[in-house]
Amino acid sequence: MARIEPDVKVVKEIQAAGGDTIKKCYQCATCASVCPLATEDVPFPRKQMLLGQWGFKEKLLSDPALWLCHQCGDCTLYCPRGARPGDVLGALRNMAVRELSEFKFLWTFYNKPWGLAILLAISLATVWLTLCIFAGGTPGFPVLPYLPHLSAEEVHILFLKLTPKVIAVDAIFIPLATFVVIMVAIGINRLWNGLVENAGIPAAYRLSFWGVVSTYLVPAIREILAHSRFLECGANRWRFNGHRMLLWSFIILAFVTGVVFIAADVFGFHTPWPIYNPIKILANIGAILLIYGCISIIVNRTRAAAEGKLASSYQDWFLIYLILAVGVTGLLTELLRLAGNVIYPGMYALHLAMVFMLFLSVPYSKFAHLVYRTTAYVFDLYSRDVRAQMAALEAATAPPAEEAPTAPEGAEEAPAEGEEAQEQAA
Amino acid sequence: MAQEKILVVGGGISGVTAAVEAAEMEYDVYLVEKEPTLGGRVLQLRYYFPKLCPPTCGLEINYRRIKSNPRITVYTMATVKEISGGPGNYRVKVEIAPRYVNENCTACGECEKVCQGERVNTFDFGLSKTKAIYLPHPMAFPPYYVLDKSALAEGDLERIMAACKYNAIDPNMQPQTVELEVGAIIWATGWRPYDATKLDNLGYGRFANVITNMQMERLASPTGPTGGKILRPSDQTEPKTVVFVQCAGSRDENHLSYCSYICCLASLKQSLYLAEQNPEIESYIFYIDIRTPGRYEKFLRRAQEEARIHFIKGKVAKIEEDPETKDLVVTAEDTLSGKKVQQRANLVVLAVGMQPSLAEGAVSGVSVDENGFVQVTEGMYACGCAWMPLDVMTSNETATAAALKAIQTIVRG
Repeated sequence: MARIEPDVKVVKEIQAAGGDTIKKCYQCATCASVCPLATEDVPFPRKQMLLGQWGFKEKLLSDPALWLCHQCGDCTLYCPRGARPGDVLGALRNMAVRELSEFKFLWTFYNKPWGLAILLAISLATVWLTLCIFAGGTPGFPVLPYLPHLSAEEVHILFLKLTPKVIAVDAIFIPLATFVVIMVAIGINRLWNGLVENAGIPAAYRLSFWGVVSTYLVPAIREILAHSRFLECGANRWRFNGHRMLLWSFIILAFVTGVVFIAADVFGFHTPWPIYNPIKILANIGAILLIYGCISIIVNRTRAAAEGKLASSYQDWFLIYLILAVGVTGLLTELLRLAGNVIYPGMYALHLAMVFMLFLSVPYSKFAHLVYRTTAYVFDLYSRDVRAQMAALEAATAPPAEEAPTAPEGAEEAPAEGEEAQEQAA
Repeated sequence: MAQEKILVVGGGISGVTAAVEAAEMEYDVYLVEKEPTLGGRVLQLRYYFPKLCPPTCGLEINYRRIKSNPRITVYTMATVKEISGGPGNYRVKVEIAPRYVNENCTACGECEKVCQGERVNTFDFGLSKTKAIYLPHPMAFPPYYVLDKSALAEGDLERIMAACKYNAIDPNMQPQTVELEVGAIIWATGWRPYDATKLDNLGYGRFANVITNMQMERLASPTGPTGGKILRPSDQTEPKTVVFVQCAGSRDENHLSYCSYICCLASLKQSLYLAEQNPEIESYIFYIDIRTPGRYEKFLRRAQEEARIHFIKGKVAKIEEDPETKDLVVTAEDTLSGKKVQQRANLVVLAVGMQPSLAEGAVSGVSVDENGFVQVTEGMYACGCAWMPLDVMTSNETATAAALKAIQTIVRG
């Protein structure tokens, strides 16, 4: 019999990441029964609690359940031991983001309170330096004299007519976007391979990248836009609206940013646009939704914490306040500009710094759930299909049952590996 | 001058045992019981552990010991209101509620026949009704009727007084207060089933066929609402599939943080009731751990052999009702297979835990822990489930021990 050692280091890591209650779990499985999202075939979070107690990091971080959980807190509320499974899963997600990322020092900056000062310094310095180099600095702020000043005038490249401000913004965000896309692609690739390996999907059922994307991405995104699973968490209704509003505000803002990018950078319709411009109106609606969504989430999280349903970690608050900062600085910039206030360029620079920090956080902060939860949704839909196909095949090829033996529930089924470990240790 | 008398609070099996043991050592004992009859929880059971005796078996012999011992004074419908003094010298105020029936009563039952008003039978946990004038139990001790004035119908009082040939009904009886001077006090206040309506995910109180384990005892008891036939409350049919939900309230920080000791055994025992009634009935026991302390392990084997029991390791945390059939669907994760299971059942029995009676409305002067269990101090002793969750056999052992401790306090002065 194989001897399985608990990985104490991993256990301590989970505890330090916010899963300090994990050891209290005594495996009654109340959590998996009350969880409205746990399915019959893949119930959670009881099993994840066990894996965590043993420190099976690999298995845990390749478990779709981590991302299928929306942390409604029902499991935590009904847990007879105060083991707070919802919060433990939150901590595990946090660890998973680190494992999936490249350049892990950036994860550290985003997930430790002391990293905030460094992030602010990086973001502000990047924006300030770029503005200095490409746009002659920010009015009201010093310009370093010995920096190269590439252009103070409109630049013509082919048919493009770029203002210094546009060049500066592009110089910041095009490389940043490229970096983030590559990092996210690496993360998704690691997560997907882990999910497929961990679930033991046979080679015959494995699909190509395009196969997966074309079949399952659209239904997954449809679910996400409707927030249908989020809503299934009965206990989550109070968070549902704020979160959905925030998601839609991001979609709106991404859309208007795209339109502005093409219109301004390609066709030369330079901003600021008048307030009655439909795109401008849409952008303002997006901004208001964003701020409203953030405040609603902050209020509801505070209330949930008071009810003992879920604990909000530094990472939770960091993300929500960062998004709020993006919204508030953006709106203030607009208002100051309309009011003709001289400090508006400074506010705009601050806004750019906040956007920079938020963009860069996608592979490193809690913001990563945007991509990893989507990946897990896609995998969930895919693996359900695989299970159904395998079951159908088995039914078709199985010899006709002579006399269906009525086995007591699950007694004869092979125990999952986690339980095996427990039994062996016992 | 130190008092030589002992007060026993609670007339269940533990209190009766403590009283008899002390009295037979020639100490005067007051036995105070808040219900109209002695017998407590044991009297409500079909069978009790360890040998699965009917309650009459153990109680009858004790009642005879009480009757033949002039040193025991029994007060029923009595509650302790106030305690002053200290070890060796307690003054205890006891309030006795009016029974409205005096000692002339022969329990002939004529009054009950003419009475029309009815009341919910708390002895059967609401599963039946009694007349406004009723005998608490065929084996009530003392064997007198009780009148619940609030339940009388119009003209009932005249009718029952006319029907009583023994002049036993006294509607003008008043509450009495007696002051007792004792040297030691034994708390045998026992337990009550934890309020299952607090387990809001299990549907008790909302779904007719979700009952508690103590209600199951009443259904199985020959003195119960169905005369001993286990029928489900919604339609009085025999259940074919019964789910037992273990740890309903026990081992749960949100409810009772301790193991109630007896519930696993009770569900095994109740599976045997079902098998005795109809060997085809399937029992499903959903558990976290099956706990059969000490030698009771043997009982687990016996139940497995004699009843059709399916054991599922996973706590039930969700129960839904089919509104058509009033059947129930329980959800749990079978932790051995790692799959979520849904089991349909005609009847669901919640293995509700024991809550000490003093958890709510504790008497001032008695110290209890955070759960309401009595904490023993010099002069104040506890036995049975007032002290910790126990079976009948161990309760009796703790009762004998408490009697000895009480005597020691008195002898030491």
